[in-house]
Amino acid sequence: MAVATAGGTVPAASHTKPKRLVSAWHLVGLLAIFLFAVFPFYWMVATSLKTQAEALASPPIWVFTPRLDNYFEVLFNRDVLSSLTNSIIIAVSTTILAVGLGTPAAYALARFEFKSKEELWFWFITNRMLSPIVVALPIFLMARTLNLIDTHIVLILVYLTFNLPIVVWICTDQFRGVPKDLDEAARLAGASRFTIFWRIALPLAMPGVAVSAIFSFIFSWNELLYALVLTRNVARTAPVAATSFMSGYDLPWGEIMATGTLIVLPVIVFALIVSKHLVQGLTMGAVK
Amino acid sequence: MKMFRGKKVLGAIAFAAALFSSTAIMSTALSSSAMAWTLEEAAQPYKGTSIKAIFLDRPGYAAAIKLLPEFEKKTGIKVNYEIVPYENSRERQVLDFTGGGEIDVVLTDVVWIGEFAGNGWLEPVKTFTDDAKLADPKLKLDGFFPILLESFGTWGDEVYGLPFDNYSGLLYYNKCTLQQAGFDKPPATWDELLNVYGPKLTDQANRKYAFALQSRRGETQSADSFMRVLWPFGGSLLDDKFKSNLNSKESQAGLKFRQDLMKIMPPGIVDYDHAEAVNALAQGNVAMITEWSAFYSTLADPTKSRITDCLAVATEPAGPAGLKPALGGFSLGVNAQSSDAKKAAAWLFIQWVTSEEMAKPYVEAGGVSGRTTIYKDADIQKRYPFVQPMVASWDGGVPDFRPRFAEWPELSEVIAEWGTRMMLGNVSIEDGAKSIGAKVEEVLGQAGYYKGDKPLRK
Amino acid sequence: MSSGTQPDGSGKPRVFPTLWNNGRAAFAFLAPAVVALAMIGIFPTVFALVNSFRRYNLAKPRDPTPFIGFDNYLTVFNDASFWGALGRTFTFLITVVPIQLALGLIIALLLHKPGLSGFKLLARLSLVIPLATAPAVAGLIGRLVFNRDFGVANAVLALVNAGPVEWLGDTTNAFIAVALMDIWQWTPFCALVLLAGLTMVPNEVEEAARLETRSRWQIVRYVQLPFLLPSITVILILRTADILKMFDTVFTMTRGGPGAATELVSVYIQRVGFRVFDQGVASAQAILLLILTIILARLYIKFVYREI
Repeated sequence: MAVATAGGTVPAASHTKPKRLVSAWHLVGLLAIFLFAVFPFYWMVATSLKTQAEALASPPIWVFTPRLDNYFEVLFNRDVLSSLTNSIIIAVSTTILAVGLGTPAAYALARFEFKSKEELWFWFITNRMLSPIVVALPIFLMARTLNLIDTHIVLILVYLTFNLPIVVWICTDQFRGVPKDLDEAARLAGASRFTIFWRIALPLAMPGVAVSAIFSFIFSWNELLYALVLTRNVARTAPVAATSFMSGYDLPWGEIMATGTLIVLPVIVFALIVSKHLVQGLTMGAVK
Repeated sequence: MKMFRGKKVLGAIAFAAALFSSTAIMSTALSSSAMAWTLEEAAQPYKGTSIKAIFLDRPGYAAAIKLLPEFEKKTGIKVNYEIVPYENSRERQVLDFTGGGEIDVVLTDVVWIGEFAGNGWLEPVKTFTDDAKLADPKLKLDGFFPILLESFGTWGDEVYGLPFDNYSGLLYYNKCTLQQAGFDKPPATWDELLNVYGPKLTDQANRKYAFALQSRRGETQSADSFMRVLWPFGGSLLDDKFKSNLNSKESQAGLKFRQDLMKIMPPGIVDYDHAEAVNALAQGNVAMITEWSAFYSTLADPTKSRITDCLAVATEPAGPAGLKPALGGFSLGVNAQSSDAKKAAAWLFIQWVTSEEMAKPYVEAGGVSGRTTIYKDADIQKRYPFVQPMVASWDGGVPDFRPRFAEWPELSEVIAEWGTRMMLGNVSIEDGAKSIGAKVEEVLGQAGYYKGDKPLRK
Repeated sequence: MSSGTQPDGSGKPRVFPTLWNNGRAAFAFLAPAVVALAMIGIFPTVFALVNSFRRYNLAKPRDPTPFIGFDNYLTVFNDASFWGALGRTFTFLITVVPIQLALGLIIALLLHKPGLSGFKLLARLSLVIPLATAPAVAGLIGRLVFNRDFGVANAVLALVNAGPVEWLGDTTNAFIAVALMDIWQWTPFCALVLLAGLTMVPNEVEEAARLETRSRWQIVRYVQLPFLLPSITVILILRTADILKMFDTVFTMTRGGPGAATELVSVYIQRVGFRVFDQGVASAQAILLLILTIILARLYIKFVYREI
């Protein structure tokens, strides 16, 4: 690596490359990253705008007249619209629930001293790593007994298994960053514990709460396994709808990719909003 | 992918029109009772009832969907259907039976009848045929091909479903390609297909292959690929005592034959499902496939097939043990857990859609009826070249081509896994057969077949 | 923000010891979350544990469901397919994670390098796309891209006169194809985590090192790597957990095929539980997976939260 000097190239060492060349390689590298990251997504969107004949063309077609037909088809004839609605209802509800239950818990973990705090904390994080299949089997049997199969509520509750840990972890971190002095001052002024949490700590921890909420939403929106097992058609979510096209008889690729795009696009928007906190959300605060 | 039909009220004109059809049977019905049985009248108490059916994304269901409005108009019964991928359809229905669900019209694959009927999930047809208000005097159960009613609809001695989407394995071939290679008729035996036709029709450099045998892991592997090579060579999955017969000389010969076929099949054949095999023939990349009769309408559809002018159909090639074509298909039955009104409405639908009267419209809409009379129609025979080989196959097929007992789905999983691994060369034929055999015997042992707890019924 | 390590009573003198040393108050704040998670996490797990000792097939509702001791576990131990799936999962792990780490490090270094800030921003934002893509959709994309006839992967290979490769119909290639999709989806994660680690290297240290040596590798190895170790540990442990859980991508891309070439452990358990409907055996497998996960989670705590 060349030492940056005003002159452009560094003549000193024999193996030093000219700065312009280094920049060129840097640029090529960055463009390669961009292509690598964007291409599969681009290909999905492009295919969603093709007719079936264009999608199946061999070799693949790069230039074509984009059509929105596949979107109309899946939204209105294939009923993906109601699946997207289900996904929104479920993801929003479970996120609200996770934030409602998780922020007080995070506050307590950040502020209070009590026995087995570490164990409790460990237990929360284990849930982040738990394979859904472990819970899916018994949950299915339980939901069956309670007549909750194919309802929104069962997914809203089950998604708490990964959403609560997200909220608790990101927010615990956030609350620790809020000075205790404020809480204590408020206590002196006679505020109740809940008022302190609600009026003082929570507003100050809002950035973390928002990030964890968006992550809860994204994880719930993307989830497949539980939805596959626990829904049929009334509460069917969008990822399940996307897989239901694979009938083994006919694969309408344009429609499949249109559904995929409808699932992915909103999440990308959300993820871009929190892109600064992306790492924190995905590692649950282990690295910042 | 559910779609709902608007509620339709029956019209008096449709009522009158129905009265004037098939006068011969009408007269007998009239003589035996004061009033003739009509669908409209039978459906009167169930007007406004909606029932739920499970359909597949295949031609036979598209045909039924085309005919549905007529039924809904006549009866005022609303038929909602959900189209599910075949690979999920058993799962979907079993979860529904065990978890309490909303399916009224049950779709039973030939290999699920033992499980569905044995578990009491299906209402015996007798419940309805005994009820004069619901039973169409023209029902004629003996009007179905015996092998179909026996195989798809019957378990023990009880009928649970009526044959609806009926398949025989057939040899579809591209007669133009065959002619160019100097063959004016299709191969009569599997051996001919491999050794005479195979080399001449395979051109690996240009990615043209003589044959494609759909072999994707799943029921496609176990039914379409694995079992298909056992029977013609005199082999079978089980012997008379329900022990594995896979390491017998005949079964091994069949499985070895399948490995030899790989030379004349496209690479990646283990990833071919029906769609890929049919498409390979339709696009002219493969000269011959053995596929279900139901796919004729796809292959003959110019929007999906490039070889409509060259398409020809024959029975499957014979093996040393004779003609043993694959048998498959689905019956429609009534969910035993549905309410009485829904059961009745579901029965009326099933009885109507599989009736002799509807056989012609059903075939013309792209379905394959299980009724015998329709195929005696010269016009139908001429328009649908698959009819003759199919009828020939049904007249001489093996009813238990695949065992139909409740344990089949579990065995099918095992066969599908090891069968594909055999084809891929991950395991030798002999060892693979042993692995399947051991697992099969374990499952059947647990089910109690070897202790005499259960009749050896397949 | 605070150090981000595990909660502890900092040594600061307490103004209000009673305010924070109140178990009852803590309980009130914690109870709803704990009860909820117990209901949907612990209770089902106990239920699964119970089922793992029973013969229980959903598709055989008329059969009794007796307790059969460790029979299901014995079945699992003798089940070559289960161990095959577990072994495959670890092969997958040691295939993709080093590649993801290496590529991630290269990307992170490119993004960390001074200059070209506009392009860097663009590249960094583009990394969000794979991360945000639902794994199920990523699998669908994979099935399209790696199609033997009209897939774009073979079209790209044709440009350099290679191929066509039989991707999804061949044991090894299908595994590679699934691995490639996983690499696409998760390399950005590694890159961003490593980038976060790189920004922790104090500027002065890096500058000083650059005066000492001109070898890029020396700087990475002796200056930056020590700061990256925590990030790498996090990546290793989270990727391990995620691959043990991995289901969606495989399910939509190959369903575990061809043969069992891409059948990872979670996919296999789903098959046993919801296709064979053998809840007893599937529960036993799930419990074994859970134990494995807990061990890993313990490692996570030990290495990541304790020692950073």
